[in-house]
Amino acid sequence: MLLSRRLMLGLAIAGTMAGALAFPALAGEGPTEIDLFFPVPVDGKLARDMGTLIKEFNETHPEVKATAVYTGSYDDTLIKTRAAIKAGKPPSAVIMSANFLLDMQIENELTNLDSLIAADGTTKEKFLGQFFPALQGNAVINRSVYGVPFHNSTPLLYINADKAKEAGLDPTKPPQTWAELTDWAKKLTRREGDKVTQWGIAIPCAYDYCGWMMETLTMSNGGRYYNEEFGGEVYYDTPSMLGALSWWNDLIAKHKVHPPGATPGPAVSTSFISGNAAMMMLSTGSLTYVRDNAKFNYKVAFIPRNVRNAVPIGGASLIIPAGLEADKQKAAWTLIKWMTSPEKSAWWSRATGYFAPNMAAYKTPDMVDFLNKNPDAKTAVEQLDVAKPWFATYKTVPVRKNLEDEVMLVLNGKKQPKDALAAAQKAADETLKPYNAETSLKLP
Amino acid sequence: MSLAEPAALPVATSAAPRLHVLKRFAAGFKASLPAYLLLLPSLIFLALFTYGAMGRVFIDALYQRTTPKAPVRFVGLDNVSAVLADPAFTGAVVNNLIYAVGTAIPSIGLALLFALALARTNAVTSALRAALFLPVLIPMVAASALFLFIFLPNVGLLDYNIGRLLPVLPNWLGDPDIALSAIMVITIWKNAGYYMLFFLAGLQAVPEDVMEAAHLDGAGPFQRLRYIILPELKPTFLFVTVIATLNAVTQVDHVFVLTQGGPSNSTNLVLFYIYQQAVEHYDVGKASAATLLTLAALMGLTALSFRTLANREGGP
Repeated sequence: MLLSRRLMLGLAIAGTMAGALAFPALAGEGPTEIDLFFPVPVDGKLARDMGTLIKEFNETHPEVKATAVYTGSYDDTLIKTRAAIKAGKPPSAVIMSANFLLDMQIENELTNLDSLIAADGTTKEKFLGQFFPALQGNAVINRSVYGVPFHNSTPLLYINADKAKEAGLDPTKPPQTWAELTDWAKKLTRREGDKVTQWGIAIPCAYDYCGWMMETLTMSNGGRYYNEEFGGEVYYDTPSMLGALSWWNDLIAKHKVHPPGATPGPAVSTSFISGNAAMMMLSTGSLTYVRDNAKFNYKVAFIPRNVRNAVPIGGASLIIPAGLEADKQKAAWTLIKWMTSPEKSAWWSRATGYFAPNMAAYKTPDMVDFLNKNPDAKTAVEQLDVAKPWFATYKTVPVRKNLEDEVMLVLNGKKQPKDALAAAQKAADETLKPYNAETSLKLP
Repeated sequence: MSLAEPAALPVATSAAPRLHVLKRFAAGFKASLPAYLLLLPSLIFLALFTYGAMGRVFIDALYQRTTPKAPVRFVGLDNVSAVLADPAFTGAVVNNLIYAVGTAIPSIGLALLFALALARTNAVTSALRAALFLPVLIPMVAASALFLFIFLPNVGLLDYNIGRLLPVLPNWLGDPDIALSAIMVITIWKNAGYYMLFFLAGLQAVPEDVMEAAHLDGAGPFQRLRYIILPELKPTFLFVTVIATLNAVTQVDHVFVLTQGGPSNSTNLVLFYIYQQAVEHYDVGKASAATLLTLAALMGLTALSFRTLANREGGP
């Protein structure tokens, strides 16, 4: 008796569950479920802000159910996306480091967005026209659109204004050249005997950040890092990069105003916040973090020049991986357009410190208000006039690491800049060889 | 599911002795069928995820795919020679050897010390044992994240506290000469408590009467340690050494979190090298070749240690 009652109860539960499982299949018209992979490459509470953003999207778009999936650093996000594509379950959209797009396009991992743009009844030129011109180099490959700029950055010089004043420097007139910056760094370094208690300047060097910083210094030294038109060439062993690395090395070895060794980004920002470093070069993506945590007056400025004012773009674009069903592609496109709209990209910019790539974002009333209160947020946007695309080649990460490994040896006093760059060039040429063999060296 | 019945077997009816053997086999099979069925799930998983994967790696190691435009080609053992010629791989092997020896000896030594000191059970030793075992319970990734803050240059816990005493502050994870040692410290800290457990168990097995006899014969504490306890702990030593060596090759979480193999490959270990080849360089052939080499080395090592264990009188 008991047994049969249990049995009936079990059957009833099983029946209900089967019904529940079968229901969406029968109904057929549930919301399209999509995943968005997103990285957090800088300091701050970006993951929480992303949750807020996606919740709002889902509330305003009942036909789509987006889930934000945190995927670590920029490099990790590339790896996880590739793993998902290989497994046949690509995410529907990814916030991808802008300089990985070329590599992914070469590997046939990206959806060409041209047809989605055309289906909206607009042109590529009009669509791209919404964004700052400097960002297009990392979004357009062979005249096709592969990425939509979402949050972008430039490197900035952060200055502890209180310490500058103490040292008799005027923080309203920040250093504009490398010579002036060296001078500031010397005046801002405090020593007790041989021991340094306060560093003049700190520049991060960990994988990813290190390559970006080398590109920054090389550009302001008149050079370029790679061939912007073709993914098979990098220019490591050049006078402009040698000068850049030599100057960085001098700050450590000769002037002793920069902490020795390779220092990751979070260590640099912690040093700055705690007053251990009086100046730092860091992404504008960390600006909100600095604003929220610095207990002193600070100032942000352009990256000083040696030959010219120039900086690389940083940050990320939204992409749609290849191999998605049409309905997911469409849903992802809806999400991407919403996230890069003036209002949303302005909100995200205020939350993070990244600048908003959509130019109209700066005309929204909230943003005008915000910029009046926080003029430091303008610097990165102003610097865009001199910004250039971010390093992008075939096998971007290994080619970048070929340089970073050597730079780390220099910053640790284990190698001279000239030898290091020659070694880096050799290693990168080796990494790029198969691609060149299939493209530029494949003669008709 | 239809089970294999004895009648379904191809039976040679004319040969009586063979029939007898087959019948016995069938009877034996029937009797142990439930056991085989119970083993089946594990067998399936083992075949799928271990042997299947190994076979796949073996095949992948023979092929090379360079760019998406170039076709996948059969290259034989080229991948293996490419791996052996790669200074990053040989560097990773050297790093891994240093790492294995440099973590195994201190952690085993510490574990023995802890075990000897805490062999007697009372409230104090129980609390100390628990404290020493605690690092084992913390996941490696969490422990590494913790050490990230300890090792931060200039502002980290370590520099903040002992940095004042040093003339020059080392950049613990940013200096290629120091980074590997810094990572090794975490492994030692984490594993010593784990190996302590084995030594504690080993100490329980030391015969009480022998100890008493030695005591009566006037053997001092050092002599008892040297001539009774350590020889009795030999199997434990061997076992722990094998575990420590395998750990040195299979643990890589801290490299991921703390250094990504850097600076300048100074903390690159073999497993991390394989990962880099597979996912950063997108070179499955080379990653598979490196995996095969590692697998061969580990299997050799395991076979050696099993033989040594089996050859011991009485076994472990």
